[in-house]
Amino acid sequence: MTGITKRFGAVTALDRVDLQVASGTLHAVVGENGAGKTTLMRILYGVFGPDEGTVKLSNDQVRSFKTSRDAIAAGIGMVSQHYGIIPALSCLQNLILGAEGGAILDIRSAETRAQTLATRMGFEFDWHQDASTLSPAGAQKLEILKLLWREAKIMILDEPTAMLSPADSDALFQSMRKLASEGATVILVTHRLPEVMDHCSRVTVLRGGKLIETKDVADTDAKRLAALIIGSSSASAAPPSDAIAPPAEIGAPMLELKDLVVRGVRGEDALKQVNLNVRAGELLGIAGVDGSGQRELFQSILGLVRAKEGQILLGGQDSTKLKAIDRIRLGLRAIPEDRHEEAVIEEWSLEQNSALGLQRLEPLSTKGLVNTSARADWAAKVAAKFNTKHGGLKLPMGSLSGGNQQRFVAGRAIESQPKLILAFQPARGLDIRGTADVYAAIRERCREGAAAIVVSFDLDELIENCDRIVAMNHGRIHQPSANESRDRDAIGRLMVGAV
Amino acid sequence: MVLLIVGALALLAGLMILSGASPLGSLVTLLKGSLGTPAAISGTLRETTPLLILGLAVFLALRAGLFNIGAEGQFLLGAVACTWVNLRIPGFGGLILGTLAGAIAGALWALPAGLIKAYRNGHEVITTIMLNSVAVYLTTALVAGPMKDPKQDSPTTADLVAGSRLPWLYDHAPVQLSSALLLGLILTALVALWLRKTVAGYELQAVGASPGAAKYAGIDNRRVVLAAMCSSGAIAGIAGVVQVLAYEGRFYAGISPGYGFDALGVALLAGGSAWGVIPASLLFGVLAKGGTSLQLDEVPKGITTVVLGLIILVAAALRYRKVSTDV
Repeated sequence: MTGITKRFGAVTALDRVDLQVASGTLHAVVGENGAGKTTLMRILYGVFGPDEGTVKLSNDQVRSFKTSRDAIAAGIGMVSQHYGIIPALSCLQNLILGAEGGAILDIRSAETRAQTLATRMGFEFDWHQDASTLSPAGAQKLEILKLLWREAKIMILDEPTAMLSPADSDALFQSMRKLASEGATVILVTHRLPEVMDHCSRVTVLRGGKLIETKDVADTDAKRLAALIIGSSSASAAPPSDAIAPPAEIGAPMLELKDLVVRGVRGEDALKQVNLNVRAGELLGIAGVDGSGQRELFQSILGLVRAKEGQILLGGQDSTKLKAIDRIRLGLRAIPEDRHEEAVIEEWSLEQNSALGLQRLEPLSTKGLVNTSARADWAAKVAAKFNTKHGGLKLPMGSLSGGNQQRFVAGRAIESQPKLILAFQPARGLDIRGTADVYAAIRERCREGAAAIVVSFDLDELIENCDRIVAMNHGRIHQPSANESRDRDAIGRLMVGAV
Repeated sequence: MVLLIVGALALLAGLMILSGASPLGSLVTLLKGSLGTPAAISGTLRETTPLLILGLAVFLALRAGLFNIGAEGQFLLGAVACTWVNLRIPGFGGLILGTLAGAIAGALWALPAGLIKAYRNGHEVITTIMLNSVAVYLTTALVAGPMKDPKQDSPTTADLVAGSRLPWLYDHAPVQLSSALLLGLILTALVALWLRKTVAGYELQAVGASPGAAKYAGIDNRRVVLAAMCSSGAIAGIAGVVQVLAYEGRFYAGISPGYGFDALGVALLAGGSAWGVIPASLLFGVLAKGGTSLQLDEVPKGITTVVLGLIILVAAALRYRKVSTDV
């Protein structure tokens, strides 16, 4: 790709960016939110065309793809941050969707070919199961098989490990390297520098829509990369080293769970006799692979699912039967897991979104009436908190990039005088600086007397930022012993149930 | 919107040629028949009134993400309940009580659909369609049986006394303007303001736009769905009340030529704001009234239905043309 320029209105998303990727390599593209990574990949994939510049493939074909269909035909495949798996279809149906190879389905030969592909990659699938039964890692694997099914030569992976446990991530990269060794080209868009250092051979850094540098990974290290990504002038945005010093004093209990049992969607006990105390001033991290009961834990604390047994105390008050809105009145704030479905309404303006969850609190409303001027002020404050980049508070939330939406959601929860913050992967889709800022702000609230619980699938992120870490596995919470409280391996063992 | 109307009219012209009529002549007939004379205009406004209020009912449900196909049935129940009360209590008291009864009857007729949607996730389109059929036969049975005026042959109630009717604002035949239209406009303003200014309106629209986000915002989706469905039913019931008290003066089998279904188009055409219901219902009113004149020219009345269908399709296509390309 040479001299790629792309403008959206007055904003130049990409400014004469060059990208050369050698075949048979794992090539990383890194940069902050809004650096232009995803836009560049979408041009390669033909989602939209560049304003200037050309795309050239190995066979000297000079073209920019008008549609993704052209790109797919030329052997380019992309897995985006939001998986394109249809839950109601079987794994096999999902796999062949859009590339069935004719008007009449030949299920048997499709299954044979699917099995061959899966075996080659070391994956295992029950082809006739509904895709809804897949774990995030399984869905990710199926997405990759979809690319192979279409015989993609160039694979673009956008934040593929955001939802995966460390073990699944490692397995994913192993299969990626295997593919690369067989001649495929993999382009990885990521925020996670360890992935780049451990698995990729070359790395391209973008900043503010401009190409900063393309390097061999062997010639650099994580520190230098981070400096390139952030830009030297603001390298001081990294968290201060004393940030994880325990807060001055741990106060009264903000949340107590007593023998809490909660049913999951399939009727099983998703939480099994969970006991947990979080005190004012404390930032608690919950480690665990996806699906260990974190979701049900948050939903039950928020009052979105009923507790089957046990008690939930908020600020010492029995809140087991309290409605969700009344828990919000007590100071409970959430940064939900699924931004699209749970945290924002994309067609609504930023202003309207700023009040979501807080709509019944002063000053956003008084006596049941919306106070629009207070809401406008509030939205400006929320957007300013983490420097959400936006074109106007009246514009729809959908006009923001994913990272900027996340900044807005985090700002909304943290700025609204929380007593207890529940954050599910609060750094999802955020760059290094955004992640540091969000954690720093949560810590600040904790110092002021609030408490916070953070769920993340990234154990390193938790170790770096939390006061205390517990692990979840199969609906139970395990406390690491005192001398292993920050021991990566010990917590990792608890996460997989090896107590 | 203007472009749309022009486009639909152009398509209408094409269809006219197909059916052997002169398009231009028919267009003139249509516009003359609906807007050409003061009497035509008052007829158009009469057609507009039930469409406006019913459109508002469907619109409100739509904002909560519900497709209330049952407006027709709720309209009938509202009309019959109001007539029943007014035949017993004539005069101003009957007018007030009858209106209340109509609103309550409409809301109750929507209640099962709301309950099934909220607590069993049964689709409101199916349940409201079925309730429509029940409503048609139930009200027909009532006016053919217990509520029938013995002096009449056809299934109809007796006429209401003048004192329990909604007053005319202007009444010099053939031009009549009923206070019902004013009532409809006031209702529209109330709904528009309620949606914009109240927390409850905000929450209702949050549920409509994203049930998941609404849940995490502490909103009880079930309660909102139930309330939206019943409010929609109440407004549809009031449309029935108004039709009886302002225009018909009695209830009879077949009182609605399908207003409740046209109202679906009105609400879809209205877009994102309750104010949009006003021009949308006026357009439907023009076509309904003008269509009657067309019939005299031996152009099938059904052609206006075709136009309405086209308008709705084009409106939907325009509204949803921009789908975010999230790879």
